[in-house]
This record gives sequence, structure tokens and C-alpha cells, in this order.
Amino acid sequence: MHPIDLAVVVAYVALITFVGIRFSQRVKTAKDFFLAGRSLTWWVIGLSIIGTNVDTGGYIGASGNAYIIGIAQANFEWIGAIPAMIIAAIIFVPLYWRAGVYSIPEYLGLRYNQAVRVLSAAIVVIVSVFAMGIAMWALAITLQTFIGWPIWLGILVSGTVVGLYSVAGGLGAVVVTDSIQVCIMFACGLIIVAIGISDAGGADQFVSKLTAENPTHLSAYLPSDHETYPWQAVILGLGLVLSPAYWVGSQAILQRSLGAKTQWDASAGMMFAALAKTFVPLLIVFPGLLALVMMADIEYPDMALPWVIKNVLPVGISGLMFVAIIAALQSSIDSSINSTALIITRDIRHVLMKSHDPDADLKIGRLLTLGLLLCAMGTAPYIGDLGGIFNLIQSLLSLFQGPMLALLLLGALTQRATGTGGIVTLMSGVLLAGILSWVVELNMLYVAFLTFCYSVPALWIMSGFTQPHSKEHLKNLTYSPWRNK
Amino acid sequence: MELPVVWANYISIALFLALGVGIWSVPKSAVLPENWHGQRWQDLRWWATGLIFCQIALYTYFS
Repeated sequence: MHPIDLAVVVAYVALITFVGIRFSQRVKTAKDFFLAGRSLTWWVIGLSIIGTNVDTGGYIGASGNAYIIGIAQANFEWIGAIPAMIIAAIIFVPLYWRAGVYSIPEYLGLRYNQAVRVLSAAIVVIVSVFAMGIAMWALAITLQTFIGWPIWLGILVSGTVVGLYSVAGGLGAVVVTDSIQVCIMFACGLIIVAIGISDAGGADQFVSKLTAENPTHLSAYLPSDHETYPWQAVILGLGLVLSPAYWVGSQAILQRSLGAKTQWDASAGMMFAALAKTFVPLLIVFPGLLALVMMADIEYPDMALPWVIKNVLPVGISGLMFVAIIAALQSSIDSSINSTALIITRDIRHVLMKSHDPDADLKIGRLLTLGLLLCAMGTAPYIGDLGGIFNLIQSLLSLFQGPMLALLLLGALTQRATGTGGIVTLMSGVLLAGILSWVVELNMLYVAFLTFCYSVPALWIMSGFTQPHSKEHLKNLTYSPWRNK
Repeated sequence: MELPVVWANYISIALFLALGVGIWSVPKSAVLPENWHGQRWQDLRWWATGLIFCQIALYTYFS
């Protein structure tokens, strides 16, 4: 790495650490630690949501995928995000914020019962612990590829930096550092677009060079016989189930909305994130297309982004781009750690330990944050040996998303859904998803869609035979603006 | 008979239009700040409409 690039990286690490630790002085209570004292404004929330959302898969993996399938990769940012984000901003975020909850499982506990709360919390924790290990490993691999650090050193340094501000500053520090990281990511993305198009001889030349040998690379959808992303599965599975389940049910994403200073800031933050999301393909899809246009000599598609950084960007900017990749990973790890610590502290400990002391939440939250970070650092070196674990995580997620979305939708939009119906639907829906995944061996996008199609009527019918909560109890837990019109 | 791929773009655009109709059926009071002073930019339905138009433009261009 060039000394100027190295100086850029060191300056970034120093800035993030300084900002994070400075913010930690504001943390006095568990509410400060987990919800930033409910003080966040809409634009900080929006930037932090994008920082949390764009991770390793998003940066290096999406560029590699775009190299193979072209602009269709952007569906994960457009039809696979924007409609769900708009619905989340208008319906779900105000609902959660008004309910005064710290987490989505806590909302499910109020809306259904404590069994649903603990089960959904356990699902989130299991997936998050794996995801954190993967993110930490990816960060170490990135450091090894670019600056030759051994894996253990990359894990130690990145874990220490993330730990310093996450343990001390909680959500407030995480959100502020996320915002800085997203600004760096977008600045670098725009620089790559400008340099790439200029090197190709202009936008028209870029398009004609790209489509000369890859005629479908500027088509938003792929044919119905495509092995991984047939267009029907993308619209039905990704657009109608996986994406809404993620954007209305992800604790790591929604925690910053719950920390908003007003309900409007919470909603506007999500809407602002959707605006930024529209342009995320410039950061993560364009480099893959650029590598194709410039006829990059790469062994694997995932090498597209590293190739662009090494061969297209000038000294100093390549260091900044390297920082952007680290930033993307760090902003996902810190958010996962904070949200998982929150869920264990409140949704599992508060329910299962009847004699818990709520005043100890801050201390326990910080200890759990440190413990989860050490756990991620400890497991990260072995993730590489497990090969297809990333795909396993995606498959695991598709098992839960259909039933979870059904519970959230019917729970928020109707007063009919009951606690018993909720727990039975959640368990039977996951069982059905397991059968469809491992016995029938269906594409995971179809699994998500079919289990959602099962879970909605199942919850509706089962709830008809069991006792719902009172209308008074459900008043602030269901969305009914037309009723109060 | 299989639909041509371009139908995916038409379906996406139709879904976005339906979403736009849904958004404008939400009462104004549900999308404005509590202490609203008449600034139109704070009406989140307009934000959603802008986003929907962006998406329709993208799916029209990349068809």
C-alpha cells in the first residue's frame, strides 16, 4: 500500500475512534446506550440505516455479482428495498415508535405474547451471532488482501476499533460513526463513477462497450429460466416477502428509528434512507460493470472491486476507497452487536429471569456488547473453513422471513391476530420452510414466498378460534389512521 | 406460455403505481409532524411520491 493511502487509513481510524469515544460521555442510562436517549434526527437516522444495510455482501459480493448478471443486481436495492422502506416509513416505524418499545421482539411480545417475543428474539440472536463472525472475517480478509496483514492482526485491530466506540458510546456513537462512514462510501462511489466513465470515453461509450459483449447487462430482470434470479422469484420472493420482512422487522435497521426524537423524524429517517438506497447501485454495482468495460483480467468475479481500486483509482483515493470498504463492514458489525446486546438484555433476560434488575441494563448491555464482540472475533478465523456458511445464513433467514412477515403484517394491520395463533403460525411456518428448503429443495426466494402465503391464512384462521387482546390493549399496537380520521 | 422478461418491468411499474395510490390514501395527519407549520416538504407522502417516480424511471430505462 502506498504511504499516502496508508496515511488516509490511519487518519480515518483515528477520526472514528475520536468521535465514538467523545460521544460515549453522553451515555448515562440504558436508554442512552440502546436508543441514544431518543435524540436522533431524521438525516442521521437515514445515513445510519444505509451504513448498517450495506455490508461485505453488499460491497464486494454485489460488485462481483454485477460483473456476472449486470444491472439486475440492482434489484436488491430497488424493487427489493424501496417499496418496503416506504411502507416501513409510513406504517410500521410510527407504530413501533408510538408503542415505546426498544425492539421488534418487544413489540411482538406486546402484540401477541411473551412466547412469540422470546422465540423471535432467539431467532434474531442466532442469525446475528453468525453474521457478526462472517462480517469480522470478511473485514480481516479485506485487510489481508489490501495491506497484507495476517488474519489474526486484522481481526484484533478492527475488533478493537469497533469495540472502543460500540462498548463505550452505544447506539449514539454507532449512529454518528455510521453517518461519517456512509459519507465516505458515497464520496468514493461517485469518484469511481466519474473516473470510470471518463476512462471509458464518456457515458455513451461506456454503455456501448458494456452491451457489445453482454447484451443483457443493462436489463433490470433476467429470464424466467435463470438459475439463481428468475424474474418471477425476484418480484415474488424478494420484492413481496424477503425485502418487507427485512425492512419492517430487522432490529439492527429499525433500532435507530426507535431512537428518533419524534415520530416524524423516525419516519423521515427511513424515507431519507430510501432516497440514498436508490443511489447505492452506483457504489456497489457500477464497479462490477466498470471491470467488464475495462476488460479486467480477474480470476473470480468477486475480484472486480479490488481490481477497480488497484487499477482505476489514483493514489490517495484508493486509500479512501479501502477505507469505504472497512467502513461498510464496521458499520454493519457495530449495529449488529448493539442490537443483539439489546435483545439479549431486554427480550430474553427480562422475560426469562423474573427477578431481573432493570437498573443493571446499562452495565449488562455493555458487558454483552464486549462479549459479543469477543465472540465474533473468536469465531471469525474459522468462518473461512466452513465454506458455504454465507449461503447457509441466507437460507436460514429465508426460513423465518415468511412467517415473521405474516405476524408483523397481520399484527400491525388487524386486531384479529392472537397470541396463540402467532406462536403456532411461527413454528409451523418455519417447519414448512425447512421442508421446502431441504426436502423439496426449492429456490430460497420461492421458499420465502410460499411460507408467507401459508402463514397469512394460517394466522387468520387460527386466530378465529382463540381469544384476542382487548381493543383497548390493541389501540396503540395496530395501525388505524382511518379510524381516527 | 411464458411471459417475456420485459413484463417484469411492467409489473414492477404497476406495483409502484399501486403503492403510490396506497400512500395517498393515508390521511395527512398520519404523515405530518405533531407541530406542523404548513411546510409542504414535511409531508412524507411527497417524499414517497418522488421515490416512486425515480423507481418508475429506472425500471422504464433498464427494460
